[in-house]
Parts: sequence; structure tokens; C-alpha cells
Amino acid sequence: MKTTEPNCLYFDFSEVFWNTKSYIDRYNKRQTQLTNKLNANHRATAELITRLYIKQLNQASRFQELGREQLPGFRTFNVSLATCKGCTKRTIINHKERLKQAGFIVREEHRGSEGIEIWITPEVLGHKKLCATSVDGVTKIGVVTSLFYDKAKNFHPLVHEQQEQRNNNITVHKSISGVSQKTHQDDKANTTGTIQEHDMNTGEIVPSVPQNQTKVSEKETEKVGAEHISFLKKQVLDFWRYTYSSLYPGLMFCKPEEQEILNHIWASVFQKFRLKGTKKQWENHQDMLYKRVDMVRRWLERNPNHWIPKPYLYFHHNNKRNGFGKTWEWYLKQETLKNEIRNQIIIQQTQHEWKQREKGEGRHKHKTRLQLFRIHEKRISNYKDKALEQAYQRSLQQTLKPHYVTR
Amino acid sequence: MLPGKSQQEALSKCIVYFYDGNSRTFYSLDKSHKNAKPNQSLGIRRLEKMVMETFKGQWETAIIYENQTNGKELVKFKNGRRLF
Repeated sequence: MKTTEPNCLYFDFSEVFWNTKSYIDRYNKRQTQLTNKLNANHRATAELITRLYIKQLNQASRFQELGREQLPGFRTFNVSLATCKGCTKRTIINHKERLKQAGFIVREEHRGSEGIEIWITPEVLGHKKLCATSVDGVTKIGVVTSLFYDKAKNFHPLVHEQQEQRNNNITVHKSISGVSQKTHQDDKANTTGTIQEHDMNTGEIVPSVPQNQTKVSEKETEKVGAEHISFLKKQVLDFWRYTYSSLYPGLMFCKPEEQEILNHIWASVFQKFRLKGTKKQWENHQDMLYKRVDMVRRWLERNPNHWIPKPYLYFHHNNKRNGFGKTWEWYLKQETLKNEIRNQIIIQQTQHEWKQREKGEGRHKHKTRLQLFRIHEKRISNYKDKALEQAYQRSLQQTLKPHYVTR
Repeated sequence: MLPGKSQQEALSKCIVYFYDGNSRTFYSLDKSHKNAKPNQSLGIRRLEKMVMETFKGQWETAIIYENQTNGKELVKFKNGRRLF
């Protein structure tokens, strides 16, 4: 077995499962009442949590150096745990409460749409091993396999292959998005994965492109990506500065408050940059946002009774009542109205030109009907507006009608 | 008053200097519910509300700090007005 990562932490599945079992056994022994004891169902939930947690930790440790003292929590969703276990979400919540009482889960944080984060007692995780002990790798495999064979009955649900494939709890990839592609590939190429068999399906395919080429292209893409990200960040910052000066000139915000507002703007106004676009498109989008802010400013100036909420509420993505999102409707309405007025002006202009030509006046007096029609058609097609074309056709029928009658 | 554990977990604290010469430290409650992710700006907003509404007209200076050793000043109030 070969490993080239010197500081990569590795948690042994069998050891942690054994610790979990003994922890729950010890807890149950301490309880006198049967109702206070953890039953087989609670035990199964604990083992499920442990198994997925270790898997996350082992994956994370391959891509980034984990702090020995402060390990990241287990990031998951109640629903996905319930799906894995084949029970309802409520059951998982109840089991978690019991496990918290037992001290198995030491902390839990709710992250809203990003799920939950759970920290389990370090007693269960035991001491962490370093992957760098490649010399005695063979003996290590021997120990692990013997343990699995010995405790096969106890560990049956924990190494069930189907559950491994169905597992969608891993958010490690999300949390380490900052790691370069290069490190990913090197890691994959160098690890043998003998001990980490549980994770084999989650691996990425090593590309067959020559290494020199990939290095250059990766550097370029990284550079372009970094530039684009800084550009997008600047967009958010610029938008906030403009909004602050236009809508909240008297208010003061400290750094944490400003960060929260920027996060809200990123989430609600820029939709977390889920849509991909070019620089030009983003700049156009930014102009549209500035117009919307100007509309709000004018609306505030129009009446002293008009007000908008504080920015952390105004830009909150859940604020459907009086949030910034409402200005999109205003903007649409304004743009539609503008287009209608523009169309009316164009139609009036064409009608006037037709009349002038009929009278033998104006600059089109020597042109034939067809020529003038072609000129108008070209002019109107520039706007790429079907409503305008239809309106022109209607106006043409009205304008040319008396002419047909006289003939 | 928050229990000791919550005081340690608080991300910011507010020291209020009252007109009568007393001073008191308040710790922020940064969570919207028990298991929520701590939100420092929520805690600061709550402290600001306390200072500006609950103790309105009773204090001369109030300063909100980061709840760390040598924590930075985040917000400062003087005579009923926010300075920064």
C-alpha cells in the first residue's frame, strides 16, 4: 500500500464502530430504567451517522489538511438520513434527541436549506491515524480484515454496499471547492485505496491527457476562473455601494452587518450566480439593477410616508412582501410602457411620412409606394419587436385605405 | 442575564456606561433558535435595540466589542447616537 500524503488523517471504520458499540453499551449499563436505555433502533441511527461521518472525514482529509483538535462536523440532512435508514424524518429527529441525551451527539447546528451539522463525541472517534504509515500497510489491512470477519454480524448494516451507493449526504466536495483540480487528480493517482474501499465509487476518473498539457490548461482555467470570481464579487460590492449611497445614506453598518447584507444580496439579487453569463451580460444586468435602485429612490422621494425595510431584510431572499425582488415587476412594467410609447411614436412618424408622400411633400416625395414601404419595413425590423410590426401593419391598412377607394 | 456557557459562546458583548456611574456588560444572543447557526450581526442588532430602546436615555456611552480577548470595537454609541 502506498500513500504519498504525509499529514492525511484516516479514521478506521472498524475501530470507530467498535467504539460506538461500546459507548452505547456502557450508557445502557448505567441506566436503571428500561425506557431510558438506547434500543436497537437508536443504535442503528448512531451507527449510520458514524459511518457517514467517517466517510466524509476520510474524504475531506484527502483533499485538505484537517485540524486535529477541531474536526468539521457531519453535514447532512434529516431527510437523507431518513431515506438511508428507511424511516421518517421525525424518527431521525427523535433519535437524535435521544443520542444527545446520551452524550453521543455533543452539538448540533441547523443550517436551514443547507441541512444540519452534527458533532459526535470525540470518545467515539478515538485516536486518529495518519495515512503516512505506508510501511506497515500490509499488517494494517490484515488487522482490518480480521476485525471485519470477526464482527461481521455486528457490522452487517454498516457496510451494506447499496446504501453506500445511495448515500447523498456527502457535502465535502462542496466545502472544499477552493481546492484546485490538480490536487484532486494527484491524490487520486497516488492513493491505492485498499483501506478506503468504501469510497471507491465516489472517486473521479483520472484524465488520459498528457500531464504537461493538463497543467498548462489547468493554470489558464484557474486564472480565468479567479478573474471571473473577482469580477462577480466586485459586481456585488458595487451594487451594495450604489444602494447604500442611494437608499441608506444615513445608516451605519459594522463589518459583520455588512457581510451579512452582502451575502443576502449575493443570494437574492444575484441568485448565487447560478446563471452563467459573459462579462458583458453581467454588466447589462448590473445596469438594470441600478435602474431598479433608482426607481426605488424616486419612489421614496415622492412621498415621505414611503419606506423600505433595513437592508438585511430588504435583500433577504425570503422577503416576498416588501423586498427588493418586487422592483422587478416595476421594472418590467416601466419597460413595457416605454416600448409601447416608442412604438406609438414610430407609427405616428410612419403615418406622417405616408401622408407627406401622398401630398407630394417631404423627403420621400419621389419614392414609390413600395420603396417607402421597404424603408419603413427595414427601420421597424431593427427593433425586433413583433408588436411594433403588427401595429405598423394595422396603421398601414388605415392609412392606405382611402387611396384604394379613390382608385 | 445569560448563563456562563452562553456568555462564552456569545460572539459580541456590549459595555454600557450609565449616567448614574454604573457600568454593565451584556452578551449577545446570536441564535434565532436553539440549534441555529450563530449570526453575529443578529446579536449586534439585538444589542443595538436593547441600548436604543430598553435603556433609552439612561446611558452615556455604549460600546459593542467582539467577545474575545483584545476584541475589536464594532459599534460605538454616545449620548443616544451611533458614532460608527
